[in-house]
Amino acid sequence: MILVHHLSDSFSAIFKRPHFRELIRHLEFAGVSSLPIVLICVCFAAMVTILESAFHMKILIQNDSLVPGFAALLILRELGAVITCLLLASRVGAGYAAEFASMKVTEQLDALKLLGIDRYWYLVAPRTLACALSGAFLTLLANFMCLYAAFLISNLILGHSSSAFLAGFRVFVTYKDLLFAAIKGFCFGATIPLIASYFGFFGAEGAEGVGQATTKSVVASSVTIIIIDFILSWLFSHFY
Amino acid sequence: MASPIIELDQVTVRFGESPLLEDVNLQLEEGQCLVLLGPSGEGKTTLLKLMAGLQIPTKGRVLIHGINPEESSRKERKKLFLEMGMLFQKNALFDSMSVLENVLFPMREISDLTESEQHRLASELLEAVELDHVKALFPHEISGGMQKRLGIARALSLKPRIVLYDDPTAGLDPITSKRIAKLIKDLSKKENVSTVIITNDMMRAFQLADNIVFVWNKQVDMIGSPEVAKSSQKEPFRSFLRGENRA
Repeated sequence: MILVHHLSDSFSAIFKRPHFRELIRHLEFAGVSSLPIVLICVCFAAMVTILESAFHMKILIQNDSLVPGFAALLILRELGAVITCLLLASRVGAGYAAEFASMKVTEQLDALKLLGIDRYWYLVAPRTLACALSGAFLTLLANFMCLYAAFLISNLILGHSSSAFLAGFRVFVTYKDLLFAAIKGFCFGATIPLIASYFGFFGAEGAEGVGQATTKSVVASSVTIIIIDFILSWLFSHFY
Repeated sequence: MASPIIELDQVTVRFGESPLLEDVNLQLEEGQCLVLLGPSGEGKTTLLKLMAGLQIPTKGRVLIHGINPEESSRKERKKLFLEMGMLFQKNALFDSMSVLENVLFPMREISDLTESEQHRLASELLEAVELDHVKALFPHEISGGMQKRLGIARALSLKPRIVLYDDPTAGLDPITSKRIAKLIKDLSKKENVSTVIITNDMMRAFQLADNIVFVWNKQVDMIGSPEVAKSSQKEPFRSFLRGENRA
């Protein structure tokens, strides 16, 4: 019941005029500051993906010519969005949950209430919007980075020519893949502050409560992202 | 007789089955200073939060200017809250903001003042609490006494008619404690602000109070002027003053 109230208050706050100063601050924190770690991680994930795919395809069908296309498809449809947002959940979500839980412990939430400031409007809505936009933006950048890393591995290690990689890419990938990846990133990103604020606002008191809120928030966000990924993948499959 | 600014009428607060406060009646008149005394864990902070509208009673009602915040619209509630400033037990300073930003924050978010007026008022308040030299620092970079004073400055930033102080001198040295007590008294008298203070500093309590409220056994056990309180023969209060455990 608390979760339902929390979500309804959060959504009604999201559709109000946003607090621009906070929105900009969190776009910087969630989006810009997360960029290096996201790009590094997805880059290596893409390289592993293409190497593993080539290794197994060579064993199974003694041919890895389809690897670039498959890898590009996997990257665009899954890897880019999911890895990016799981990283956001652990970096940004953990920070938000700890911040909210500390604000509760130190009575900062009461101070906001006494000032007549709606905590959902001031704290949750800007973070949710910032994370959603950052999720979409980072997913797109991560996808480009992944594709570039996959291209390099394919070219330098697996010996596929640039034109072969691009040809495979064109056969398997459409513009819709990029659009759906951005939508996934947006949805995954939005769930992170909603979950972090729930555990932060309604968790136990004290230092232990802050720790629990952080852990629970990261776990719940990660599980939710994976479940939403399944739902969206199934929905998007109807559009191909 | 003027109606009280805050009125608690037969208020009970329970946490699960255990009572935090039971059948409390209390009134705060305009310009009055109430000091809440009592052993730890008897419900003083809960009582203060009830008066601020931050705690919802399980039974009974809290009226602020004759209005029950629970039954009022969000807009009315916001208006009532803006009449109040509060120094929280843990100061509740926004740790991501500097000293100056903490004082500016309520004005920036709530008031219609221009930016230059906000800065002028914030500087005046910081000067009043003698923190103007540390306005660029963050709360964790200043001492406990300074944090208390900053909490007071922020509580007063919207020129509230009611100010609630939760243990403003806790853990402070006698010199800082005296300065804060003087600050509270000066600010209250200057603006005719109604004040409620929780303290366990007896000297300050008798120095500041118009009325002493003794909270004992989850109830208001005694209310009276400092003179009445001093001459009171009620045993729990006498024991509390002597520092003896009656539990």
